[in-house]
Amino acid sequence: MTITSPTVLKLSTISRSFGAVKAIESVSLEIRRGEVVGLVGENGAGKSTLLKILAGIEQPDQGTIEINGKLVKFRGPQDALDAGIGVVHQEQSLFTNLTVAENIDTHNAGRTGASRYGFQDWARLNREATVVLDKIGVTLDPKARVGDLTFVDRQMVEIARAVRVDDTANITPLIILDEPTAVLEQAETAVLEREIRKLREFASVIFVSHRLDEILRICDRVLVMRSGKLVSDRRTGDITKQDLFDAMVDEPAHIETQPRSTAPFTGKAVVEVRALTRKGAYNDVSFAVRPGQIVALVGASGSGREALVRTIFGAETHTAGSIIIAGQPVSGWSIRRAVQAGLAYAPAERKVEGMIGGFSAARNIALVDPGKVATGPFLRLRRLSQMAQSWMTKLDVRPNDISRPLAQFSGGNQQKVVLAKWLHTAGLKVLLLDHPLRGLDVGAARTLNIQIKQAVENGAAAILIPDTIEEALEMADDIIVMRDGRVSARHDLRQNSHITLHDIVAEMV
Amino acid sequence: MGSAIGGNHDKNNRAGHAALSASGGPLQHFIKTHKAPLSLILAMAVLFVIFGFLNPRFASVLNLQNVLFQISVPLIIVVGTTMVIQMGSIDLSVQGVMAASGMAWILLSPNTRLESDIGIWAWPVALGIGLGIGLVTGVMYAKLRVPSFVVSLGTLYVGLGIGILLYGNELLPTLTNDVLARWPTRLTLGLPNSFWLAAAIILAGVLVARYTRLGRGLLAIGNNESIARHSGLPVNRYKIAAFAIAGALSGLAGILATMQLGSGSPDIGLGQLFTVIPAAVIGGTALSGGEGGVMRSALGVVLLIVLNNGLVLAGVDPDYQSAVFGSILIVTIVAVAWPQRGRLKVAK
Repeated sequence: MTITSPTVLKLSTISRSFGAVKAIESVSLEIRRGEVVGLVGENGAGKSTLLKILAGIEQPDQGTIEINGKLVKFRGPQDALDAGIGVVHQEQSLFTNLTVAENIDTHNAGRTGASRYGFQDWARLNREATVVLDKIGVTLDPKARVGDLTFVDRQMVEIARAVRVDDTANITPLIILDEPTAVLEQAETAVLEREIRKLREFASVIFVSHRLDEILRICDRVLVMRSGKLVSDRRTGDITKQDLFDAMVDEPAHIETQPRSTAPFTGKAVVEVRALTRKGAYNDVSFAVRPGQIVALVGASGSGREALVRTIFGAETHTAGSIIIAGQPVSGWSIRRAVQAGLAYAPAERKVEGMIGGFSAARNIALVDPGKVATGPFLRLRRLSQMAQSWMTKLDVRPNDISRPLAQFSGGNQQKVVLAKWLHTAGLKVLLLDHPLRGLDVGAARTLNIQIKQAVENGAAAILIPDTIEEALEMADDIIVMRDGRVSARHDLRQNSHITLHDIVAEMV
Repeated sequence: MGSAIGGNHDKNNRAGHAALSASGGPLQHFIKTHKAPLSLILAMAVLFVIFGFLNPRFASVLNLQNVLFQISVPLIIVVGTTMVIQMGSIDLSVQGVMAASGMAWILLSPNTRLESDIGIWAWPVALGIGLGIGLVTGVMYAKLRVPSFVVSLGTLYVGLGIGILLYGNELLPTLTNDVLARWPTRLTLGLPNSFWLAAAIILAGVLVARYTRLGRGLLAIGNNESIARHSGLPVNRYKIAAFAIAGALSGLAGILATMQLGSGSPDIGLGQLFTVIPAAVIGGTALSGGEGGVMRSALGVVLLIVLNNGLVLAGVDPDYQSAVFGSILIVTIVAVAWPQRGRLKVAK
């Protein structure tokens, strides 16, 4: 690759807004043939939106895309594929029940010679797949069932499929790898890195990752995004990890850290995990939370913190270690028992797991502990309304209408109701908050945080998975940083309030 | 796929780790990849030995021919059932289609009621009725996006209605042509013709599943419909085709059952659905789609019919047969589904 290689992709002043939120703002960039370009940025920096535009899933509001010097417009994913852009998404999109060869061929379904008159020519299909696999230097049996492959092998199949796109049109493929290493083990990552070096012989690569070491090792150039803008575009030879942090993290003028009392928490641990492990998710994690304490789990995607919290709530299983609730190790842990023990969980997938959209706000609030507003098997409707009404007012839910189906509220107000559902239960001991502020505006976030703090002051404990490190610094007493499923650092903010964003980001990646 | 947070991702990851640890020679590999059919064949062998001991007549040539005669109709149906279930849908219309096609066929063949014999043309007309009902089900399901469960329940009753109208209140239509009436039981190479017909259909089903875009497309839809759509597969066409084929096969099954009985009846398909769906499930065809195969479903049918036949010959009191059969069915299905259970798995 030389500086003079032809430009494969050129974006000029691309912008995309969602409502009032500017997801990306006037982004211009160029990718040359054979170049491996890293793309980094914090969550919400606009990386995903940019990738979606390149994949044809989203259309830009403004700006132009040029491929090989020609102006293009993607109306859908197929257009992007035809132009030679192949995306390997974070969530794999393979048919696990079909073979490697079939998966590589899916985007060409019915368009090439491998199927004539509706019949599948297996010999040809396998032959063509082998050619593609050879090209990217991977040894895989084209007849193997994708579901039987390891995760990294499946990524190779995705890459092969992305490269396959090139065969019909004579163009340089652009392969976008969206955090491909997030869930890989060390050895698998090495395989992928080798693969990327191989790809540059005939393709260009955009490599998205949270791991900066990796980016600096693999890429020729790194793009940094922050709050929807491209803030840095430099060659890897000229920069250090520190430079990348500085570009990535928008150091706020002032983080709201309230004065904290420094007295140690003396209560008995309400939840403790010891050496908790689930293969492939998190490993050897130990910590405890006491009444009045907020512990924030911080980490990039693939850190395993979500699975960990879901395990504590009984929604997922662990393979080793123990969960100790109020001093007692538990076995056969389930959501039902967790709820009875006073655990509450606000899931990240609010709409799927946190609420029943067709039920009224009042019914949703009474979901967890209906016994409070019932006599025997019968709901006391008036008492239900009164209780719901008081919580709606307390949390400033708008519109303040308890009989309205919850699906018709905005995201922030839905989240308030989800929280109210747990806050009103009498035996509340631990709040497990999985991205509680996701998709919330500033005002709703503030109300929610106040309620969380109040619940904690009243003697509950909280385990928080924050969206941002700022949120952790603002809310938590203790921060536990996780990387690749393991605890990489612990900070007691009450003893040491000088911890900065930089330190934590460095421990995450 | 309405999976929870990273649910799918997670599943894949774990499957990957499982695959890492699995290794062994070619024999182990064969056993691993053919676990489901092998365990079915094993189960069948066990049944044969047990029933053979309980009643020596069970293993007689005559009884085995009888079993093959009995399994023909469900074997034909199960091919269509499997195709539909593989894509994650369900076709409940079997009994209705059988009634309509069976009645249409006998009234258009030499019979005691009507002088409406149109000879060989009775076949395409009767099969066409099945195909038509299947097409209607498929189009409503794919285009109007109504759950197949509900649509096919509707077409089930429409089919039954057609059968009842054709049946009327008059004389029972009985087949008068001896050649036709005897064809299903007549032996060719020692096996009843009914079975040969079913075997041909099974073979065709296996070939479609393995060597056609349609067959592979149905599996793709069952695995992940949204990826299938994004990959440009003609998802709606495949869905409609699967239901049309299932309808035509139910029609064929209706004709064969009518021939076997020798006279027409709207009840000709009674209970068949409750053989073929459990058979497909026992064969490893997940009701959520994407898994299983025609051959395995066929083994499931054989297992269920053998079980039924063996219970009769073993002298189980007829009053208890239903309960015993049902209990064994439940145990089998739970055993088959056991490896797939998950903590937050939603089963509907």
